[in-house]
Order: sequence, then structure tokens, then C-alpha cells
Amino acid sequence: MENLTISDPPRGGTPHSGGQLGSAAGAPAGPPQLPPQMFTTAAQLLDLTDKKLMLVLRDGRKLIGVLRTWDQFANLVLTSTTERYFVSSSNDRRLFADIPRGTYLVRGENVLLIGEIDLDKDDDIPPGYTEADIEDVFALKKEEEARRKKSDRTRSRKAGELWGGELEGSGEILF
Amino acid sequence: MADAGEEEATSVSEPLDLVRLSLDEIVFVKLRGDRELKGRLHAYDSHCNVVLGDVEETIYTIEEDEEGEETVKTIKKQSEMLFVRGDSVVLISPQAPS
Amino acid sequence: MLFFSFFKTLTNHTITVELKNDISIRGTLKSVDQYLNIKLDDITVLDELRYPHLSSVKNIFIRGSVVRYVHLPAAEVDRGLLEDASRREAANQAGKAK
Repeated sequence: MENLTISDPPRGGTPHSGGQLGSAAGAPAGPPQLPPQMFTTAAQLLDLTDKKLMLVLRDGRKLIGVLRTWDQFANLVLTSTTERYFVSSSNDRRLFADIPRGTYLVRGENVLLIGEIDLDKDDDIPPGYTEADIEDVFALKKEEEARRKKSDRTRSRKAGELWGGELEGSGEILF
Repeated sequence: MADAGEEEATSVSEPLDLVRLSLDEIVFVKLRGDRELKGRLHAYDSHCNVVLGDVEETIYTIEEDEEGEETVKTIKKQSEMLFVRGDSVVLISPQAPS
Repeated sequence: MLFFSFFKTLTNHTITVELKNDISIRGTLKSVDQYLNIKLDDITVLDELRYPHLSSVKNIFIRGSVVRYVHLPAAEVDRGLLEDASRREAANQAGKAK
């Protein structure tokens, strides 16, 4: 990993030059003193470094992993990543499953939000959900997607007929 | 600072001037995703980010019952003070208070 | 920059952020940047059964571009100040364009 420091003042061009951020080996401990230019994305990501995070991506994926490094585009490197699938079936069964994924580099523009996981609650099971076999979750997920796609299609057709509306999809996906 | 003269303060020479003249007035805002807002305009910028006060949101959606019958449903929500991100805004229209 | 400055004045107040994928998250505004990326502390998700994945998350960073609305504490918003700032920003923009 790059030897990162916040002590160098940001140079011209981009408000926060790449590669100068993160926890430095030689930097003094305690809260870093950020220059005003750093009231930015960089400042916000800085204290998430080396924390266990939950990422929600534009395609609806949820990744859990430890943030190791990042840059001015908010491209992120996660280690010990697991992907968590949630599914709720028609008969109100709510399940989730984790799949180990290893190390990920996630392109910044695909990240919707980053949550810092409260380590005290880390092992808590999401309320209302139970952990299940990956295969079961996948099977249910497929059903769910098919159901949703079908209903989205009829609804958006109807919306188009009635008011030329667009009616965004009901999923968690952002285009 | 700009050289905004007397005339510039009241006339519409570019689209966003219309929005400026609607400050502290009731506006209608159409958004992506079949949503509409009506409220008092308190702030805006060149991205069409806005802040609206005493705003009513109307969402148009379609519900499907068991027989596959589709009906239009409108959901209304109230908010005292709302920031709206400009990239969702389709249009802004000055409204006479109804 | 208007809304960047505006959100800075709201730090440490409770706001509710509604995302374009319909998730609503309430929390204490901790920081904001020029893209209006937002950091919230002590969050609660309004419809947790539909969006279970944030149950063990205490603070979040939200990408500005995925925000639809921010519900603001009306008492903390100085409407007159906002309107003046909007006019000033518009004048600035017009000045720059020339």
C-alpha cells in the first residue's frame, strides 16, 4: 500500500490531490488538522479508512469489508469483503446469506452509500431476517426479481398509457 | 459582485431569472419519477437545487390487485422544509396560491 | 456553493435524507462537501424491514448524486437569508458569465 500522508498541502488542480490521503505511518496521532480545501470528500472518507464498512452499490449489491485505501474519485479498496444477499419471499420469509469475495476495488461512481459498521452490533442478525443457505437465498432472489420485473413492466406500461409517465423501477437499483 | 442593475432585478433574460422572481412565492415543481411538489420557494441555485417550505408532495403510482387490475394511486406527503436535488427536477412553475 | 454553505450551517442537526431508491435515513448531519455528499451519525432507516442492510450501521456517507430530498429542521432555516443568498448567487453567476 501507498505511504499516505495528509501533512502535505493539496496542490493546485483538483482541490484534493490524489494519493495524499489516509493514515500516515509517520504522521502525528490525534485528529488530523485539515486545511479548508479538505472540507471535501477526502475529509469525509479519511475517518472511514481501516474501518469495517457496508457499501451499497448502484446495482443494489451490498458489500461488507474493510476500507484500506481510496482516492479523489472515491474509488475504494476493500479487503475481507463479503457480499450479503437479502431476500423476502411472497410468504413473508425474510432471509439473508453471505458470500466471501476477497479483495475488491470498487469504482467510486457506483457507490450509493457507505455505512460504518458498529462493531458492537456487527454480529447482530438484521431484525426480521434469518441467515440461510446461499442456494436457497439465490432461488428466492430469482423468484423475487422475476415477480418485480413483471409488475414493473405492467405498471410502467400503464403509466405510459395514462400520463406518459416513466414510473421508476421499484427495486433498489439506480440508473 | 455582479452589475445587476434595477432592470435586471425584475426582468427575465435567462431561464433561471424566472425562478429568481419566484423566491418567497408558491411554486409547482415537477420531478422525475412521477412526483410533484407545491411549496414556497426559499432557495435555488444554477443546478435547480431548491429549498421549499410548507411543501406538499404528490406521488403518482399504479397498484395492481390480485386480478391484475391496475388503478392509479396518488400519495400525498407534507414536509415543513425540504431540500430537493436539482437532478430530479423536470420543471419549475410559478403558481398563484390556491 | 450556496447549498454547500447552507448544509454546513445545519451540521449537528437531525435531518432525513430520502434517496432516489426510496430509502429514507434519519441521522445527525456530521459533514458535507462540495458535491453535497453527506455524512450522517446515529442513523435510523425509516422502513427497516424493506431495507435491512443498514441495521448494524451507525454512521453513513451518502453520495450526493443519489439524494432525492433532504427533510430539514424548519426552525433552523432562515428563509430570508436563504432568499438573499440565492439572489446574490444568481447575480454572481450572471457576473461570471459576462
